[in-house]
Amino acid sequence: MLKVEMINCYLENSLILRDISFQAAKGEFLGIAGPNGSGKTTLLRTISGILPLTKGRVYLEGKDMSKMDKKRIARKIAMVPQNTFINFPFTAMEVVAMGRTPYLHRFERERKEDLKKVKESMLLTRTWHLRDKKVTEISGGELQRVVIAQALAQNTELLFLDEPTSHLDINHELEILSLIARLNREHLLIVILVTHNLNLIARYCQKLILLKEGKIHAQGEVEDILTSENIKSVYHVRALVKKHPLTGSIYTFPLCFNGREETKRRERIHLVCGGGSGSSLMRELWNSGYEVSVGVINVFDADFETATLLNIPLAGEAPFSPITDESYQKNLRMIRDSEAIILAGVPFGEGNLLNLKVAKKALKEGKRVIVVNKTPIQERDYTKGKATQIFEDLKKGGATFANDEREVLSLIEKILSPDSVI
Amino acid sequence: MLKQRRKVIGFLFLLGIATFWVSLSIGSVSISVKDICKIIIGRLPFLNNWIKNEPAQKYQLIILNLRLPRILLAMLVGSGLATAGVSMQGLFKNPLASPYVVGISSGSSFGAALAMLLLPGIFSVPLSAFFTGLVTIFLVYKISRRNGRVPVETLLLAGIAVGLFFSAITSLVMYISAQSVHHLVFWMMGGFGGGNWSNVLRATPFIGFGIPAIYYFSRELNVMQLGEESATHLGVEIEKVKKILLILSSLITASAVAVSGVIGFVGLIIPHITRIIVGPDHRIVIPVAALIGGIFLIWCDSLARTVIAPVELPVGIITACFGAPFFIYLLKRR
Repeated sequence: MLKVEMINCYLENSLILRDISFQAAKGEFLGIAGPNGSGKTTLLRTISGILPLTKGRVYLEGKDMSKMDKKRIARKIAMVPQNTFINFPFTAMEVVAMGRTPYLHRFERERKEDLKKVKESMLLTRTWHLRDKKVTEISGGELQRVVIAQALAQNTELLFLDEPTSHLDINHELEILSLIARLNREHLLIVILVTHNLNLIARYCQKLILLKEGKIHAQGEVEDILTSENIKSVYHVRALVKKHPLTGSIYTFPLCFNGREETKRRERIHLVCGGGSGSSLMRELWNSGYEVSVGVINVFDADFETATLLNIPLAGEAPFSPITDESYQKNLRMIRDSEAIILAGVPFGEGNLLNLKVAKKALKEGKRVIVVNKTPIQERDYTKGKATQIFEDLKKGGATFANDEREVLSLIEKILSPDSVI
Repeated sequence: MLKQRRKVIGFLFLLGIATFWVSLSIGSVSISVKDICKIIIGRLPFLNNWIKNEPAQKYQLIILNLRLPRILLAMLVGSGLATAGVSMQGLFKNPLASPYVVGISSGSSFGAALAMLLLPGIFSVPLSAFFTGLVTIFLVYKISRRNGRVPVETLLLAGIAVGLFFSAITSLVMYISAQSVHHLVFWMMGGFGGGNWSNVLRATPFIGFGIPAIYYFSRELNVMQLGEESATHLGVEIEKVKKILLILSSLITASAVAVSGVIGFVGLIIPHITRIIVGPDHRIVIPVAALIGGIFLIWCDSLARTVIAPVELPVGIITACFGAPFFIYLLKRR
């Protein structure tokens, strides 16, 4: 068990870590996250004994770590750094065998059990086939797996990982982390993982420490800590936090930067969409600083979630229900308050035909209408031609047709510029 | 691999012995191996009774007072410089480091020259050389270290700058000195012209201690190649080991410089050749490099004294002729 008590760390006369306290019990998988410069790596280097503490204590199984000798610490803690540079042509196996250093006397050769451990670690990390290759000649990802094998060969109770997978492709990233998670479960290893990747933390860690400017912003169970509020206050980014239906773990998805305030525009754009057809446009418009409203969309539909997340006013309808007159009217009112309306490339059935009719109505009332026609209407018309008919009317009535979302943005810009002649 | 390494060491031992005898026999006067055996055995207790009709007195003088100490000195200096080179390359994690390139040789030669002029004595010269060599290496190290790493460019440039500075001061000291400095100039070029028993005596304790002491840290040197932090995580007391290795390398280089002047490139090319033959594991590189270094310098010296005999060349010229192209090749290959 690792216990960190109120530690401070100075680097080049500036305080990098302030009053950090936490614990990691046997079998715990702990993540440390935070923005660049928040002190993640420094924290890992401090608790592993590389950097001196200026205040506080680190206890390893109840013993003060500053009083333990390096070799004993090396039998307890193994570290996988972000990068390893090796200039001399050691073979991969020689490098992994160096993991046994803390167990060997000065002139002792590796014993049988050492070599067994080396082979086992190399098989686990799928590096056994590289054993006779020179580490100066293998790829960065292969070298990183060799270094991880070395840390496993060290046979410690604590494993510290500092961005261990930044060199690995997604396949090897998952493989290595799943392996580490397995060792964590089966051998009750304490694993501490420093990473930028919140989704890796959500997937593999049980506990999380969020660092901000050298202090702990929040710590606890991953599900309690990994919230949009915490992410926003630490990273200044709006993020979607959801439970992934497939993995069952939560995942986060950064949406946009807070650059919106700088590009504030007054114009209101109304977006008619549904079923996720308008989400990306909604985000783009919102990001470009427009006032956006949407309608009519069903509650819990993908577009509904996006709108709620971005705090966009909307005309909603009960889940899986056709559009009622009430919400149609609400939608129309919103349209009347807008400078232009955009009709997203949504498929039309009897349930949402009113969304198409409202566009026609708006056009008649003199509103600018932009129609996204990425997929031809015939392919998304489930109303036996009614939708196609209204589409023709829109065309005749002077609506602007755009081939994709990107074109919509430039069209909007043109339409809303004071000297537009469209 | 292990078996192969044993073979290499065995072969080098035989080569060393052959080198020893051949180099004793060649020179401005050729002396047969049979006569050499007689002379050397004749000097050993008990065995000397067997020797009948000893070779002429003049041959005995050449072998015992001129060639033998000279060859022993070349062997000591070669082994020492090669080992110091291995240690520096490992320490700086940089295959282009060597006592000569990083400036210790120039620094030491300043101290040695100063001592030769001001307080000549059997150990004052190597100790003074050791002191200035140590100052040089700490200076170069401090200058070239950036964020915990020692990039090759800054290391080489800092080594050249500090080395040139000390060479300049050495020249200055020699220039303003009232004494005759002809012997100093010759010594500076690097050679075993001063290969006598007192120089052998002078270098033996330092190099004889330095090589095994560096070997003692061979496992640490291996682990240090992963980076200083990784080495710490494997239980190595990195700061302590680094300082000890720097001191030992300086000690060896300084005593080599004190007895034979500045002989460049041995500390650079021998570690490389060794790694090509036996791989990078310091547990094997250190003894093999010491063997090859000794053999190499004996041959260079034999060449120096025979190529335009009876005039002899400073051996530094020979090693530079081999070493400089090799160094350029290494730089290009990077």
